[in-house]
Amino acid sequence: MELLIFLPLVLALVSALGSKWNRWIILVFALSGLLILTGNFNVLAAAIQEKSSFQTIVDYPWLGDAVHFRLGIDGITLFLLLLTNILIPVISLSIKTDKRPALIPLMLFMQAGLNGVFMAQDGLLFYLFWELAMIPIYFMTLLYSERDSYTTTIRFFVYTFVGSLAMLASLIYLGTKSVNGSFAYSDLYNVQLTLTESIWVGAGFLLAFAVKIPLFPFHVWQPNTYTYAPAQGSMLLSGIMLKMGLYGLMRWYFPMASESIDFYQPIIMILAVIGVVYGAIIAIRQDDMKRLIAYSSLSHVGLIAAGLFALNKSGFDGALLQMFVHGINVVGLFIAVNIIERNFGSRNLNELGGIAKSNRLFAVLFFMVVIGSVAAPLTNGFPGEFLLLKSVFDYNTTSAVFAGLTIIFCAVYMFRMYQFSMLGECNSDTEDKTIPVSELIPLFVVAFFVVSIGLFPQWYMDLFQNSTTSLLQIISNAKGVLS
Amino acid sequence: MIAIGIIFFGALVLLFAGINKEEARLKTLASVIFGLGGFAIWAESKNIINTDQLFAWVPSGMIAFNPTAQVISAILAFMAMIVVNLMPAVNRKGMDIVGLMMFSVCGGILMVGAQHLVVLFLGIEILSIPLFVLAGSEKDSLFGNEASLKYFLMGAFSTAIFLLGAAFLYGGTGTLYFHEMLLRTSFSEHFGEFPVLVKAGLILVSVGLLFKVSAVPFHFWSPDVYEGSPNRIAAFMAIIVKIAGFAAFAQLLSSFAPMQGWYSTWMLPISIITVLAGNIAALVQNSYKRMLAYSSISHAGYLLLFLFQPIQENFQVLGIYLLSYGLGTAILFYLFDKYAKSEDKSVNIFTGLAFSNRLDALALIVATFTVAGIPSTIGFIAKYQLFTSAFTSAPWGVFIGLLGSAISISYYFKPFRVMFKTESDSQPSIQFSWSNACLLILIASILALGLFPVVLNWIF
Repeated sequence: MELLIFLPLVLALVSALGSKWNRWIILVFALSGLLILTGNFNVLAAAIQEKSSFQTIVDYPWLGDAVHFRLGIDGITLFLLLLTNILIPVISLSIKTDKRPALIPLMLFMQAGLNGVFMAQDGLLFYLFWELAMIPIYFMTLLYSERDSYTTTIRFFVYTFVGSLAMLASLIYLGTKSVNGSFAYSDLYNVQLTLTESIWVGAGFLLAFAVKIPLFPFHVWQPNTYTYAPAQGSMLLSGIMLKMGLYGLMRWYFPMASESIDFYQPIIMILAVIGVVYGAIIAIRQDDMKRLIAYSSLSHVGLIAAGLFALNKSGFDGALLQMFVHGINVVGLFIAVNIIERNFGSRNLNELGGIAKSNRLFAVLFFMVVIGSVAAPLTNGFPGEFLLLKSVFDYNTTSAVFAGLTIIFCAVYMFRMYQFSMLGECNSDTEDKTIPVSELIPLFVVAFFVVSIGLFPQWYMDLFQNSTTSLLQIISNAKGVLS
Repeated sequence: MIAIGIIFFGALVLLFAGINKEEARLKTLASVIFGLGGFAIWAESKNIINTDQLFAWVPSGMIAFNPTAQVISAILAFMAMIVVNLMPAVNRKGMDIVGLMMFSVCGGILMVGAQHLVVLFLGIEILSIPLFVLAGSEKDSLFGNEASLKYFLMGAFSTAIFLLGAAFLYGGTGTLYFHEMLLRTSFSEHFGEFPVLVKAGLILVSVGLLFKVSAVPFHFWSPDVYEGSPNRIAAFMAIIVKIAGFAAFAQLLSSFAPMQGWYSTWMLPISIITVLAGNIAALVQNSYKRMLAYSSISHAGYLLLFLFQPIQENFQVLGIYLLSYGLGTAILFYLFDKYAKSEDKSVNIFTGLAFSNRLDALALIVATFTVAGIPSTIGFIAKYQLFTSAFTSAPWGVFIGLLGSAISISYYFKPFRVMFKTESDSQPSIQFSWSNACLLILIASILALGLFPVVLNWIF
């Protein structure tokens, strides 16, 4: 399984050395992660069945005795690894290599980092991969963003780096308290903290994750970065990077600083619900399609965070499923926007319209992604959002009412976007232009997941059922220490 | 100790050879001598060779290297080798620069091994006096002369303070050996107080050393001196003086471990102020070289955090940090030297670097990452170990250190603003040259040590 980290790194180096690559070779490069996953089928099947959480599969000493290169796997990790390694090839299909040669190596580099984040079973290793995943996206944005790149990227980097350092401080604190200063996952969550300590340690973790997710007041870096980053950068950021923050909450914050959960729960709930409504309302007024998607993403992940903080089974299951679904949908939306922009020269809703007339296939595929995001029944958005709203309802009725507004708002801005871009009268730019079918291939993959998760959500949920149960068990055990 | 001998005699040879040979030709010889000396002392630390018999005539205990100190001395020699090889030489006859650098390194190694105040003093002077000359080695440059004079005056001033402190310590304890000082005063521990003379002496000696490592508020000389000196001398000063200074400081304070609670009350604020002032001042610098000077001040602040814990046990943490600092700083100074040819000394010198010279661009990125402490480089490993080991004794210091690291991103990353701009039309061309080979080795070692820190166990 360590190949999942090292192979993309090697491939990144290989692709950095050559300048012109055939897009099929790149696809093979990008598919490597998925191939390794299928190659390790036995390990994965065992991980899904396993009732106890997070089995160690790789363990080398890395830095002294305290820090080990320790990777683990369970259903949650597996599900997110699948997401990462499915989305990377999809995204790679949308890259035009001749114009932006550095995207490929950076993307593969990032794949290594992301796989590492989801598998890391050692505090310091988690931090290491967390930062490794951030570096390529920084350079992607810096190199290829549309305008004002330095200000946007430095804001993004400083925000996330401050968050990461806060997390590092928390990890170091836990490390000094743990047995023999070990940073192993199980040693870290066995550390007993007082309430005050736990609140501070939790603050460090939460700052890192809240910036990355992003939660409401920490989202300042997000709209500009999503809007001005190259299309592939936006896809990686919103499709996979965000999930690092949510995964971190789940896997690292809750067990590590479980004593502080009661303290932070109402605060984060309120912030998350504010984010849901705020993001949605702002998205309604956007004309730039990418910016619209950025705010819609803010709204969606707010709901996922709220579901996680409800701390019940349906919340965790819904959050995980929705993480996958949001990844698929948001990448699909960005791909569609990228196709529109490439073919019609604009992504401003005021300058588009009537695209559907001469591009029926694209219109259908794009619409599937849109209704997926709106969470219409029988599409992939529905089961996850339903579970999330149910869990928030179980926690508090008022917040569920406000969070539930997301479905209405989402329909408003998504259909507005679809209507203004695809339907209506053609203008001079959009008349009689057909999109080549080869550009639509990634959308087919996305559409497959929209339908299959919508129709058979249980297939996907079975992958992580056991793991969420045992993770919740760990959290409630740890919480029981104080209360 | 054999390293001091090798480098000293090598320096004598080079000093005479320098009279009528061009410096470029002496480079090879100098690297061989540095490499030999560095390897010898590293091999001694691993017990591969043993030269104790050779130096039986040295009064025992005045110079004593523990294994980590030996590795740090080896790092000193290798860093000097890197600086000599990386930076282009000035092709003028009658140059004695390399020879003087070697004497300076001798002094540095003496400082690292000193266990006696007089030897420490000698080491500081042998390190500094060649540097006064080197700082002004561009005789026509007005700024060079200013730097030289300023460095000399400040050096003399700090030496005087150091000597006064040494006198107090001698007066208070009756010995000049580090490890005996507190033993002689142990009686006073019954009263819960250390003698005033020892306290005052330790403060003054520390101030002398804090001058050398340019900690705030004793840092005012360093940006001016770095800016005025020739680039490679500035790099040499930034690296060698800091490594030797901190190693000596740690050696000295490790003998005063019982007083740790007392000295951290006034040294911790110095460390915090150094981190903050260094980083904030670096933010507003226009010149890249001045920014490097302030960044080196902020690193002094992080390093001071090391001194508030059981020093002897964690000595290699210091070594690793100094190694990472040296590697990163050497590359940054080299790149500055290579591209700052015109009047413009700001980050704009790196405009379009990613397209005109990919190797240098990679080097700039990797070196920036390592000095900023971003994972996958040795800089992260070093910072992590430093902060973790210092956490129990100085949690607030570590907190400020992390804050400082966050601030430092915004000035370290400034070159990235311009290096990806496609303004330069020059075709990418990388010829094989000695500097490029060196650069590649440095990049590779920064990344290798960062990704596989197990190797560090083998070095230290």
